[in-house]
Amino acid sequence: MSASEAKPKSMTRAKQWSDEIENLYRFQTAGYRDEVEYRHVKQVEMVDRWPETGFVKKLQRKDNTFYYYNKQRECEEKEVHKVKVYAY
Amino acid sequence: MVYETSKGTEAGSNSKGKKSDSEGFTVKAMMKNSIVRGPPAAGAFKERPAKPTAFRKFYERGDFPIALEHDTKGNKIAWKVEIEKLDYHHYLPLFFDGLCETTHPYEFFARQGVHDMLEHGGPKILPVIPQLIIPIKNALNIRNRQVICTTLKVLQHLVVSADMVGEALVPYYRQILPIFNIFKNVNINSGDGIDYSQQKRENIGDLIQETLEAFERHGGEDAFINIKYMVPTYESCLLN
Repeated sequence: MSASEAKPKSMTRAKQWSDEIENLYRFQTAGYRDEVEYRHVKQVEMVDRWPETGFVKKLQRKDNTFYYYNKQRECEEKEVHKVKVYAY
Repeated sequence: MVYETSKGTEAGSNSKGKKSDSEGFTVKAMMKNSIVRGPPAAGAFKERPAKPTAFRKFYERGDFPIALEHDTKGNKIAWKVEIEKLDYHHYLPLFFDGLCETTHPYEFFARQGVHDMLEHGGPKILPVIPQLIIPIKNALNIRNRQVICTTLKVLQHLVVSADMVGEALVPYYRQILPIFNIFKNVNINSGDGIDYSQQKRENIGDLIQETLEAFERHGGEDAFINIKYMVPTYESCLLN
C-alpha cells in the first residue's frame, strides 16, 4: 500500500450508529483512523474479528500493547457523534 | 416485697423500685427490678474488614502484563501481551483475588482484567474454575455492597464465558451461595418511588436473583436442586 493511498481526502462525523461506525469507534479508541491505517501501520492482512457479530476483537496499538473489545456493541449513543468517518 | 409493674416505674410513683438493665441468662436477670435486654445483633449484614490482597501486591510489583493508561476514557486495559498467550492458571485466580478491592486503581484493573480474560478465554477458563472458588468466596464474605455487586456481575459473566463452566460450578454452590441466601432479600421497598440503583444495576436483591437464574440456566439438570438446597426461597425459572 502506497503512502498516498493512506492519506484521507475528507472527514465527516458519524450521525447514527451502525456496524461500520462501531468498528471505526474501535479503531479510533486504539489510536488509528480506520482499518486502512491500521493495516498500513501494522502490516497485517486481517484484523481479528468476532465471528458472531463481525466487530473488531483485538487491536495492537502503536505502543505495541493490545486492546480487547467485547462481542457486543461498545460504542455508546453519546460517543457516536465523536466517531470520524474518513473518505479516500 | 415489692411487686412492681413496669407501668409503676414509668410513672415514677415508687422511688425504691429503680429498674436496671441486664444481660439475659445472668443472676441479675432473675431479679425483679431488672429489665432484660434483647440479644445483640448477630451482624450477618455487617461488613468484614478486607485483608490485603495478593492482587495488590502483584500489581504494585508490576507483575501484571498490563500498562497503566491515563489518557483514554478509562474503561480499557492495555495488555502488554496477548490474552490468548497468558497462563490462565496463574493470572485468572489473581485477578479474581482483586475483586475484594474497593479502591482505585486496584478495583478497576481487577474488574476489567477479569472481564477481558473471561471474554477472550474460551476453553482455557474451565480447568481454572476450582482455583477461582476461594477468591469468589472471600470477595462475597467481605459483605461490602460494592464488592458483592461486582462479584455477582462477574459470576454472571463467568457462567456464560465458555461451555460447561456453569456445570462445573455446581459442586461449589456450598461455598458461594450462603452469602446469596443472606442478601437475597436486600431489596428496597420504595413504594412507587424510583429506585435509581435499578438502572445502574446495583440492587443486590435483584442481582442475586439474576445470578441464581443464570446459574440454573447454565448449570445443567442438577443446578436447581442444588441451588434450592442452599437458598430455600429460590424458585425455578425453568420448571414452572
